[in-house]
Amino acid sequence: MRLVVFFLCTYATLASAGESVGKSASWNGTLYGYSNHTSLRNDSLLNPGNTIARMPQRSDHLEARLNIKAENQSLRFTARPIVTLREERNAYGATAQQEAYLSQWQLRLKASDYVNLSAGREVLNWGAAQFRSPSSPFYFNNGRSNPMSELSGMDILKASLTTDDMGSLYLVKVLDSGYASQAQDPWRNSWLLKYDQYGDDWAAGLVGLKAANRAAFYSMQGQYTVNDGMLIYGELASSTQTAVLNSPADITLPYSITPESARKSTGLLGWAYTLQNGQSIIGEYLHDENGYNRAEQRAYFQRASAQPGIALGLAPRLLGRDYLHLVWQSNLMESEEYWRWMLTHGITSGDNELAGYGEYSLNPHLSAFMLGVLTMGSSRQEFSALQHNSITAGLKIVFP
Amino acid sequence: MNAISRLSLFFGGILFCGSVLAAPDAESLLKHSDQARGGNLPGIIWEINLTSRDGDKQGEPQRLRVMAVDESSVAETLEPARFRGSKLLQRERNMWLTRPGLSKPIPISPRQRMSGQASNGDIAATNYAGDYNAVLSGSETIDGEACHVLDLTAKHKRTTYDKVRYWISVKREVGVKAEFFSLSGKLLKSARFEYNNSIQHQGHRIPFVSRMTIRDALIDAETTMDFGTIKVQEISPSEFDLGQLQ
Repeated sequence: MRLVVFFLCTYATLASAGESVGKSASWNGTLYGYSNHTSLRNDSLLNPGNTIARMPQRSDHLEARLNIKAENQSLRFTARPIVTLREERNAYGATAQQEAYLSQWQLRLKASDYVNLSAGREVLNWGAAQFRSPSSPFYFNNGRSNPMSELSGMDILKASLTTDDMGSLYLVKVLDSGYASQAQDPWRNSWLLKYDQYGDDWAAGLVGLKAANRAAFYSMQGQYTVNDGMLIYGELASSTQTAVLNSPADITLPYSITPESARKSTGLLGWAYTLQNGQSIIGEYLHDENGYNRAEQRAYFQRASAQPGIALGLAPRLLGRDYLHLVWQSNLMESEEYWRWMLTHGITSGDNELAGYGEYSLNPHLSAFMLGVLTMGSSRQEFSALQHNSITAGLKIVFP
Repeated sequence: MNAISRLSLFFGGILFCGSVLAAPDAESLLKHSDQARGGNLPGIIWEINLTSRDGDKQGEPQRLRVMAVDESSVAETLEPARFRGSKLLQRERNMWLTRPGLSKPIPISPRQRMSGQASNGDIAATNYAGDYNAVLSGSETIDGEACHVLDLTAKHKRTTYDKVRYWISVKREVGVKAEFFSLSGKLLKSARFEYNNSIQHQGHRIPFVSRMTIRDALIDAETTMDFGTIKVQEISPSEFDLGQLQ
């Protein structure tokens, strides 16, 4: 409540005397209404009969996402509150949920032309990768594969220094994981240092993060514009994982859980080519040493039939080690329609996932959208371990 | 008057007439004309109303707020409503697109067009003097106005166009027409400029671009950009910082 009063006061202060030089205030929002149907696997090893995860087979969503902004010459306040009403149904019945939270907010003080100080809830995500973001310690799953999802920010204090020679340095105190913060928050009271440098046709960044009672996270990311149509990029990280489920290839051995893994690397290489008509094709290869090799993955599913709860609850962020991800999308700058095809191939296990998203503008304020996901594989493969397919369709209305 | 004085007067006269009658310097012409399109200024903020037509199909109007300094610019979409808050950041040849709720900025290749016939480079400040080598190739009359004709060749690969033919008004020293060519010399687009705005800079009032109309050379398509709400002011480097783009 105190936070809400603080935000309202801040907004009112910055928005008042709106005619003054440099002051402005605005708000807008989008109302989403959509339904999802998911066809679950009956023979799932990780979630037999949907008894473990109790995933919804049908869900209806009504969601308002707002953008609020007020600023003067030295202070800027932005906030993105989200209100959601959701009804989910499966064989066990229906549940209704309501949520209202601040997905992101920021109060920023422009201390000088080069120094900014801010407090807020920010999505600390960077790099050019689409499939996963190895260079971000917080958002390995960056949400790009699901156009309906939205990342919520980390609660932070940030100081940034921007130099004339195209460099930026950020020092960030991470207070906690924001709205999704748990009692055992691994990022609580951690420090992050990030440096970005830009050239004529390249950009690169280095990241170091130290969380309490955990080994440091290091990463780097970069991109290079080869020519008008071609961009190449890469991300590399070295880190440890917590609460790691080990699945030895020897099936006679049981699962074991390690509080913190040894230091391992994750890397992604990608390219994006823009055609003359503005459509683009993207290809990415990800190697994650934290995943299982082929034998370990086979053993993981064999053990899962006896211990599905552990297998599902403590599964690594990606089961396999090597992935290919292809994207074909329409012109991002096109305002009237947008479509995107995404194909992911798990090299380790040989399964595939195909997803398609389309959005069409019916008028300047109303658009229709649809997302379909089709998995291709067996119950012993990652993408198809839980579901066959899912489809989401809805409308979004922009206001005012 | 002795012989030496007469000789001095004679050569002085030649030098004076030469400087008056000599062809204008292409580089300085370009620099001057750039200023009327946002170049060589400490920073510029403007709004662009952008309308496109492709054959008989009328595109959705767009309104952008652009901040630009040298090779950096940020264009924020104000209309259409569903893209309000989208930002296109350009730093040299690097470009990113971000929207409210997007998980992170998306890198964009220079080939991505802004809208219709407008390129990303067309919405930012013009710095032809920095981007192109200029050669004065003649003079022509455009709509009854005497113009210098300049042939421009890209100095580096981050330019929007490889070659440009540029007509600069003799009297007003602003660009009134341009033709944009590919490296092979193929005409891609042409543009006309109007200057019904003016700005105050270093104590002088100078004409400023109010409309740019771009026509495709290969298909029947046209994009019009109307420039307004123009402010000349210094813009801090942090405005072009990808990490501050929220």
